[in-house]
Amino acid sequence: MTDPDDVAVTQKLALRVERFDEALAAMARAPAFARPGKMPPLLDAARLVLQEESGCAAMASRAQAIEEAGVFAGSDWATPQILVPSLSRGALRSADAGLVVIESLSQLRLLAIAQSWFLHPLMSSEQAHHYLTQVLALNLELLFAAPGEAERAVQGRLARVPRNLFAYLAETIGYEHVIDQLIDEIWRVLKQRPIQVDSVKDMITQIAVCRARRDIHWGGAGQGADRLVSSLYGPTQATREDPGLEEYQRRLDRMDAPALQYEASGFARAMHDTGLVSPYHAVILRHLLGQGDHLLVECLGLSSTGRDCLLCYSDLVHALIESAVFPGTAQAVYGLALMLERGILYQPPIAPALWRQLGLSLCVSAAERLQHRTDTAITPEARLLEGVLCMMGLPLGIGQGNNPTCQSARALSMWAFNDPDYLLQMVAWAARDDEIVMHFEGQAISSRESAGGVATEMPVDLDPVSLLVVPHLDRIYAEMGRRCVGRDGDPHRWVNPEFHGWWSGRGFHINVDVATGLLHELEDFLRHFYAAYHPMYNGNQPLIHPQPAGIAVTDSAARFIGWHAITILRVSLDPSGMMRVYFYNPNNDSGQDWGDGLVVSTSGCGEQFGEASLPFEQFASRLYIFHYDLLEYGEPAQVSQEELDRVMGYVHRSWGRERLAAGGLQAEG
Amino acid sequence: MTKNPDKGYVALLGWSLNAVEAAASFDRRYVVVAPDWAEDYCREHDIPYVPWNFERLNDRSMEIAQTLADMGVDVAIPLFEETVEWAGAINSVLLDNPRLLGQAMLMRDKSLMKRRAQLGGIRVGIFEEAHDRDDVMRFLKRVNQTLLKLDGDPNDPIHFKAFDKAGCLGHRVIRTPDDVDAIPDEEFPSLMESHLDGWEFAVEAWIHQGKIRFLNISEYVSLGYSVFVPASPELERYRPQITEQIEKLVKTFDIEFGFIHPEYFVTSDSEMYFGEVAYRPPGFKVFELLERVYGFNAYQALILSFDPKTTEEEIQAFFPKEVEDAQGYAGCFGVYPRRRVVSRLEIPEETEDHPYFESHELTAPLQETVTKRTAFGTHWGLVYFRGDEADTLKALLAHQETLDFYM
Repeated sequence: MTDPDDVAVTQKLALRVERFDEALAAMARAPAFARPGKMPPLLDAARLVLQEESGCAAMASRAQAIEEAGVFAGSDWATPQILVPSLSRGALRSADAGLVVIESLSQLRLLAIAQSWFLHPLMSSEQAHHYLTQVLALNLELLFAAPGEAERAVQGRLARVPRNLFAYLAETIGYEHVIDQLIDEIWRVLKQRPIQVDSVKDMITQIAVCRARRDIHWGGAGQGADRLVSSLYGPTQATREDPGLEEYQRRLDRMDAPALQYEASGFARAMHDTGLVSPYHAVILRHLLGQGDHLLVECLGLSSTGRDCLLCYSDLVHALIESAVFPGTAQAVYGLALMLERGILYQPPIAPALWRQLGLSLCVSAAERLQHRTDTAITPEARLLEGVLCMMGLPLGIGQGNNPTCQSARALSMWAFNDPDYLLQMVAWAARDDEIVMHFEGQAISSRESAGGVATEMPVDLDPVSLLVVPHLDRIYAEMGRRCVGRDGDPHRWVNPEFHGWWSGRGFHINVDVATGLLHELEDFLRHFYAAYHPMYNGNQPLIHPQPAGIAVTDSAARFIGWHAITILRVSLDPSGMMRVYFYNPNNDSGQDWGDGLVVSTSGCGEQFGEASLPFEQFASRLYIFHYDLLEYGEPAQVSQEELDRVMGYVHRSWGRERLAAGGLQAEG
Repeated sequence: MTKNPDKGYVALLGWSLNAVEAAASFDRRYVVVAPDWAEDYCREHDIPYVPWNFERLNDRSMEIAQTLADMGVDVAIPLFEETVEWAGAINSVLLDNPRLLGQAMLMRDKSLMKRRAQLGGIRVGIFEEAHDRDDVMRFLKRVNQTLLKLDGDPNDPIHFKAFDKAGCLGHRVIRTPDDVDAIPDEEFPSLMESHLDGWEFAVEAWIHQGKIRFLNISEYVSLGYSVFVPASPELERYRPQITEQIEKLVKTFDIEFGFIHPEYFVTSDSEMYFGEVAYRPPGFKVFELLERVYGFNAYQALILSFDPKTTEEEIQAFFPKEVEDAQGYAGCFGVYPRRRVVSRLEIPEETEDHPYFESHELTAPLQETVTKRTAFGTHWGLVYFRGDEADTLKALLAHQETLDFYM
């Protein structure tokens, strides 16, 4: 027997879906200019479907048709790869039904992509999955908590749409899976020690908020969340119940030295464990400024290297803490600790350059760019200093955000890693003069006089230093490319060494014919790469300087996505005895599945924080450009044909499968 | 859409996105004649466009006619009341028929058109022109005297309409001297009509070569609020008489081609009274309703019926059979806020949940205080319904008047 109520519900949904299909057909049929007029009824029809319990499934199954009818055309939703998960919060809570509905349709489309119901030209299934996990994490309360009065007042019946959406998303992806996967995801990202941790902090905050509520049932999920939540909100005995910054200061005022030491080491442990810094940590570090350097060492969790460095440059460290470490710029603590550990203060120019940074007055445009969007208590100067410390401490933690500026991010990382005083010089120029001048084959190129860069819009989702310097670098990089127009071959041959530094090899190999886009002398290319980089074929010479290289990025289906700029950092045996290439990827998350069994590892295979790695053969199969030193270099390596065939097999099964349009700058990076 | 090279161009007078969309998806080549604010949009979307500002006819009228003639345009199609006389002027040149201008002028003046109808033997109510409030008072008194009302009896209302406005714009119902005082000066001169108790309905008729090719009856549920198509079986019963009336109208107004949209009353004794006629698409989105039930695009029908190069076969192939071929009934309801202060749009749940509900085009309120309605005025947006039963639809449309859409 079928329940008559069920039948009625099914009929109602069927009717609404039918109306939606009519609206969708009208949209698809309409000439492009008339489509905007078809949108309001279409979105309204979609809203009625989505308000019904099983409506989301109906919409998800139509994802491709919805996209192809042009529903997302002409808006940010047209390019799902650039969508920012945190913006979904506002959109889904809006009183504007149209916004709620189109955001929901977009999420359902991403679900369809993630489930491989729909092969999207711009986004892989993993990317979509990754995006959805983040969206779910940022909206956990929509999943677990009963609707609040505010939600009802603002949205009325519309509130059913995001509710149904999240129930469906979580159901399809799996509830516990969501939480646990989210926590795994956060840990995986944190292991790469990114500088930009705002979104990670947002997600942890969401988890914390939801865990504090009794009306949310977690089941067995969420066990691994404790360390994450406590590292931000209660890493020590005296902060355990998240007492608030003022109360914590009062507690500190009453503590004796052993108690302070106990607190300090608690913070240091949490920080080095997660890479996250609690705002309380900033409070105690400032408090300890007057209490003797041994407590500072304890609070920064320094080893003997870092400790020596701190004691040598005590005044400078004090000044840096004074100017850079505030609850709103707490990550500066971690940057400072790791910078001291790197021992780079012993390079003669670094300390004076940091003193210059401390006294630097920012030009108006730099101050505007650095103004925190929400927290106005953070001064642009402190923010920049926080960024500088993080970059000096975590050169491999620099990310390009959602911007096509992989080249600039790579250059910043390379300088922070290899030539930190040059980086400080760049920052001073950009912050004080609003201009950077670099030279290309003897000709000066000013960032101010150069026309547009690779990025068409000003980046916003970057660390403070990148925020300031990347627009300059991007313009200079693009200008260098323009000066190579008309030359035979790939412009990176000339641009890379001039842009990154003298240590980039002037020798250059590329395995793609720029004119035709076809693979070109692949075997020869590989033999040369082995000869230059593989310790078994280059006389066991470890790589001395980081080298720029170009890779063909593929998605998990091994389809070509685009050219991308990376840095080769070292080639050596991993703990299991396999030869691996360790590299830096300016992409925000290096742990990617490139298809055909190639999964880029970011931890567990001997990687240091921020490094990505692949077995040598697999790495070679995605490489298309590398540099080497012309003078050091010998004969092509006598690699066994068997090994080369394996590498070429990887190439031919992935990005080498079809004709490729090569050339141009690595703008997609 | 591939265009038919054997046909010429048609010109659409006035900017209507739905009309342009229909033309772009039809086999006739077309050009949009619209004020220059439409220029950027047309250029951006490759819509053929001639800029023209439709003010009163003037000595430049010949210029636009010549421009269109040079482009190979065969006929101009008016989309709005304000472009009807322009179409007449232009078509009198394009089709070399000077009487078309005069015909258009008749269509633009409610008083003239009533007299013309009267001359043609069509029944009309009592009507008069009013130049000031005294005229209105006198008319109100005389009409009620005629009805043998005594002083103190509630008056039968009279209708007060601007001469040259479309639809319900400037339409007032006058019952008392206070109502008369409330008429602003700028609404004069205008037309006054006696009130007829009965069933008001409108007709959409496509004419080609002097013959009616498709005749739709639109039934009003309440004037200014709601309409549906095709009419209920009770009203469709009168189709033969209505068709006869329309044929009389076509003959009286000497209409060879195009589209007319007259309004009638049918009184309890089955007598038809002519209200007015327009030579342009109706307001209230009846075209969209027709497409919902019959599946043909009424704007494309407009192009067909105006284009002198349209063949008999095309006409035959294009139009469905009235009533028989309709898939159910489609209606729409014009929403007016019922409260004086509103802050948000909220479609009543019962409305949305009704299986007949299709869509709405209401938007969030721009102002908080609702202007008091004096005339029928402009609704804030339409709500669309469709279903199988005329009675259900009718009751549903009527019921909407009791609901709040703006809170």
